[in-house]
Amino acid sequence: MVYQLNRRQFLRTSTAIGAGLYVSGKALGADAKHKDVINVALLGAGAQGQVLMDAILKKMDPGIRFVAVCDIWEAGNLRKVSRRLKSWEKIGHKGTPYTDYREMLDTEKDLDAVIVATPDFWHSEHTVACLEKGLHVYCEKEMSNTLEGARKMVEARNASGKLLQIGHQRRSNPRYRHCYDKLIQDAGLIGRITTINGQWNRSKASCEDRALSEKETPIDEATLNKYGFKNMHQFLNWRWFKGLGGGPIVDLGSHQIDIYSWFLGCNPKSVIASGGVDYWTGHEWYDTVMAVYEYETAAGPVRAFYQTGTTNSSRGYFESFMGDQGTLTISEDPKVGGVYREGWILEEQWDQWVQGGYVLKPKGAPVFKGDDDAEAVLDPRATVPPDLYTLPVTMNVPYHQPHLMNFFNTIRGTETLNCPAEIGYESAVSVLRVNEAVAQNRRLEFKPEDFHI
Amino acid sequence: MKKIMILVLVAAMMAVMSGCSKKVPDESPSGGGEAGRAPISIELPKPLFEGTPENLTGIENLEPDTKKPRPPFLAPAGVKNLALNKTVTSSEMDPINGTLDMIVDGDKEATEGSVVELGPFEQWVVVDLGAEYELYAIVFWHFHRQPRVYKDVVVQLSSDPEFITDVTTLFNNDMDNSLGLGVGTDMHYIDKAEGKLVDAKGTKARYVKLWSQGNNQNDYSHYIEVEVFGQ
Repeated sequence: MVYQLNRRQFLRTSTAIGAGLYVSGKALGADAKHKDVINVALLGAGAQGQVLMDAILKKMDPGIRFVAVCDIWEAGNLRKVSRRLKSWEKIGHKGTPYTDYREMLDTEKDLDAVIVATPDFWHSEHTVACLEKGLHVYCEKEMSNTLEGARKMVEARNASGKLLQIGHQRRSNPRYRHCYDKLIQDAGLIGRITTINGQWNRSKASCEDRALSEKETPIDEATLNKYGFKNMHQFLNWRWFKGLGGGPIVDLGSHQIDIYSWFLGCNPKSVIASGGVDYWTGHEWYDTVMAVYEYETAAGPVRAFYQTGTTNSSRGYFESFMGDQGTLTISEDPKVGGVYREGWILEEQWDQWVQGGYVLKPKGAPVFKGDDDAEAVLDPRATVPPDLYTLPVTMNVPYHQPHLMNFFNTIRGTETLNCPAEIGYESAVSVLRVNEAVAQNRRLEFKPEDFHI
Repeated sequence: MKKIMILVLVAAMMAVMSGCSKKVPDESPSGGGEAGRAPISIELPKPLFEGTPENLTGIENLEPDTKKPRPPFLAPAGVKNLALNKTVTSSEMDPINGTLDMIVDGDKEATEGSVVELGPFEQWVVVDLGAEYELYAIVFWHFHRQPRVYKDVVVQLSSDPEFITDVTTLFNNDMDNSLGLGVGTDMHYIDKAEGKLVDAKGTKARYVKLWSQGNNQNDYSHYIEVEVFGQ
């Protein structure tokens, strides 16, 4: 089934562009080439690297060409991804495999950009090396597992003059953009935001450790040690180990806490947090975390709760912004999202936003469902549930695709980055300190200068 | 009435003439509760949806997820999985990941080492049962570590290894006929740990062919296991 660009049309288009480039490359030189074709390498070919690569391939943009891939797991990730890219050879991709990123950067002279999707503790070294080679970089979040590492990335970006996009992909998601640009900035639909509530809860089943199957060939111990892993188990589950990743609050929470700051237009002033290795064994990072941030916005104080759990998936993942006129709930999950109007706001007041295409009118007032007990009566002290206005924007492509395309289109000069390095740094400051707050069991204050380099 | 009967007859003749491909009438499943039938025994792998849930919006004709187990499927008592350790061929004999024998090795887990990955564009696998059998159910698992919807899923039976003559199409959700096998009318579905069961209605065949063309998340075709129940 054809979901996007018809493949046959794509083949014709890419062949035509390829032929044109051969001429234009000769006639107009490298600068002309760079306007149309971006040669890309994938550095880190694990699960997340594959998600990013596939999101790019699915776009079928004939001007984006993979040329190389690097991963230290030669018989696993590297073999799989280089063979995946080879299967796209007829439309211009290739996946020359490397186990040493320096060799890749030295050998691949035509590279324009690198997608960095290695474990967090490698992000800084890999990103800095690519920028120093004059390459644009898209680096997965968390930007780094340390603020020192993140700072070096911003400095390298500044020194190189190249682009560094951090993978907080919600910032390019059209549903989130609509919420920020239209509902918050333009309409101020929910009034003054006073509290935020967000979560990412995952089921026990989806949080089991990744184990090596009998059919997979592991990395030899010397190679693992050389690259900072004690053993194959740690390589496969690095997110749970101190010094390598940051646990669920960093893996999951950073996406959503980043949205808190974005929508509020400021960074937090303090955080308190509780967490622990409550359920899983063999993990170093907290499997359960609850954090409360305080923000001082231009309109007044905001308190924001966030929780992440790894034993129960109840209500999944979302961010909910509560204002004095309504509540905006948004999630990367396209099934979740909408705005509740507070009962004291007259429906007529929101008709302009319906007519203007900001929100879609509720299909019907929610029905109060009491329990089956005939004695049960509606508590007169309870507020009547408000109407849910839905969002008029849909998102039918892989979650990371708009953010990746924002990166490539910025290279092309047609857009600007939605999450440049300095924004990624601010988010890293907010998120990494949650683990500190848990460890120190005390409230941590942020100073404005903490967020700047 | 007479005119309608003539039209039906002409349509049936055209169908027979056009490549001998036939679609089994959409009757109730073989498991209709008839005497002498028993539920087929399918050993299910561990359910496992992990990581960020995938974006399933924008998929047309998607079967609602009942979130209930599949009802037992009845077939003549004594039918068994005939595909175990049989020969598998494919449009891609050297898969991106895994080897073709893994498709019939009895391992249905969705772990990395159990999944056979074929490249982008149209792909197929054929299981050679070694002889002609009466077939009652085809059960197959594409990928069930995350909820995914595979595209252009077609299941065919034949006793012709080339699938030129005597082809029975059991399932087809290729709505825009991008495979050129005919417009599919079956629904898209979410791959889960219980696999997809297609009623083979007692059709006699030696070869089972499964087509696919990527999924909602990426453009690769995956096969974890194919089971063919018959006697």
